[in-house]
Amino acid sequence: MTNLATSAVLPVLAMRDDAAYLDFVEGFREYILGKGADFEDRLDAEARAEAQRRGKDWSDLEDLRTFLARYPLTRMRDRLVRTQQEMKWHRLARSYGDRRAELAAELARWDQKGPGRLELDPQFKVPAYANVEFHLQPGSYYHDELSGFLYHYGTKVFFRGGNDQDELHGALVARVPLPADGKVSRVLDMACSVGQSSTAFKRRFPAAQVTGIDYSTPMLRVAHRRAAMAGLDVTFTQRLVERTGFPDAHFDITFAFIVFHELPIRIIRETVREAARITRPGGRFIVLDFTETAIKSPYQLYHRWFDARYNGEPYSQDFCDCNFDALLAENGFVADADVMSQRSGGAGYVKNWLATRV
Amino acid sequence: MSSFAPVPQTPEGGTPLAGPDPVYLRDPLLDATVRMVVELTAQLWVEREHRLALEGRLAESGVLPAAALENWQPTAEHLARVKRERDRLVDDVFKELRRIPATPHSQD
Repeated sequence: MTNLATSAVLPVLAMRDDAAYLDFVEGFREYILGKGADFEDRLDAEARAEAQRRGKDWSDLEDLRTFLARYPLTRMRDRLVRTQQEMKWHRLARSYGDRRAELAAELARWDQKGPGRLELDPQFKVPAYANVEFHLQPGSYYHDELSGFLYHYGTKVFFRGGNDQDELHGALVARVPLPADGKVSRVLDMACSVGQSSTAFKRRFPAAQVTGIDYSTPMLRVAHRRAAMAGLDVTFTQRLVERTGFPDAHFDITFAFIVFHELPIRIIRETVREAARITRPGGRFIVLDFTETAIKSPYQLYHRWFDARYNGEPYSQDFCDCNFDALLAENGFVADADVMSQRSGGAGYVKNWLATRV
Repeated sequence: MSSFAPVPQTPEGGTPLAGPDPVYLRDPLLDATVRMVVELTAQLWVEREHRLALEGRLAESGVLPAAALENWQPTAEHLARVKRERDRLVDDVFKELRRIPATPHSQD
């Protein structure tokens, strides 16, 4: 434990105590979501046994919620899951807030530096649908000039130590299949946030033109700083995923990491259509996002509802219900998909669609 | 602390978001109590981590035997700092009390 950030691009916190506090939250999160408190397996077993007794599955979510709400274990789980998230943001916002002037100056120092380019549009209007405090992050993704730094540290805690060096992003980018002809000249990272995937793509395809887009100015500034610090020539530009403005068939690889579940269903459809327009025939469209409702365990069904309502993920249920495979097919993609395993084994919460533009 | 003023969220459809202080344990007092226990544990860990780091560093450098801490007379400046820190700790833990709604218990 130290007050040094775990990677060069993650700013240190104001005090060693802040790092220790967030280290506690990370450990506590692991405890309540994993086998420490063992909420998931115990509640899932109860729900499965009840379904067996009734002779039917949990297709009625309200019914499942009513059943699990009878368990004090569920209510305590819910309380603790919400609490750890509130604690994280409270301490993190205070700590980076104590360093606000320094961190703002740090961003300004890198804005004009290369390699790479930061393209911000002073006239850009963030759509109303994005004005949501996703994961309870105060100020959402764009109201605070430090939103990018807050998001980065917040996700460090979220991944419970598993992504301190962007290992997750690196692994996901590494498993992206090449187009059949092997040509990768242009890569797009849709809703790139702080640029972890964008920079991983540039490392994997150094000769390719890599572009990250996002609506959030603070995220793009942190993304650009990350790439410039690493000496990577990546362009970060302020655009919407549903209306990118790029030419038809422009990209060899279009990538969307945990983006769709944070979009309203109308925008989900528009974004898949846009991806089909800008990805060249034979190009790849790679999506990592939540698994669909039909394959979720009873506990995962419950957690999706809880996460939507209590963790600032209002669009996630609609995404899980939307039959994303069919949406891809309707828009000219042929997709393979893997459900990623969770740490304890078994089907996890996310799925990797590896789609090819026909 | 923040450079922005909170603005109402504007989701487009989807699952209705809960308000800022959901009650999970059927009694806001219980929810507040659990929050305080978790917060206290976090604060306890912060202190323990800091003490372990300090003791390790002191022992490593050989500058301060453990017994010397017991006999130390702090300065006024140090005492003022400690008071500020204590007040911050109290608020960190007991800010939860402000979140208890001033409404009658449903069974009363």
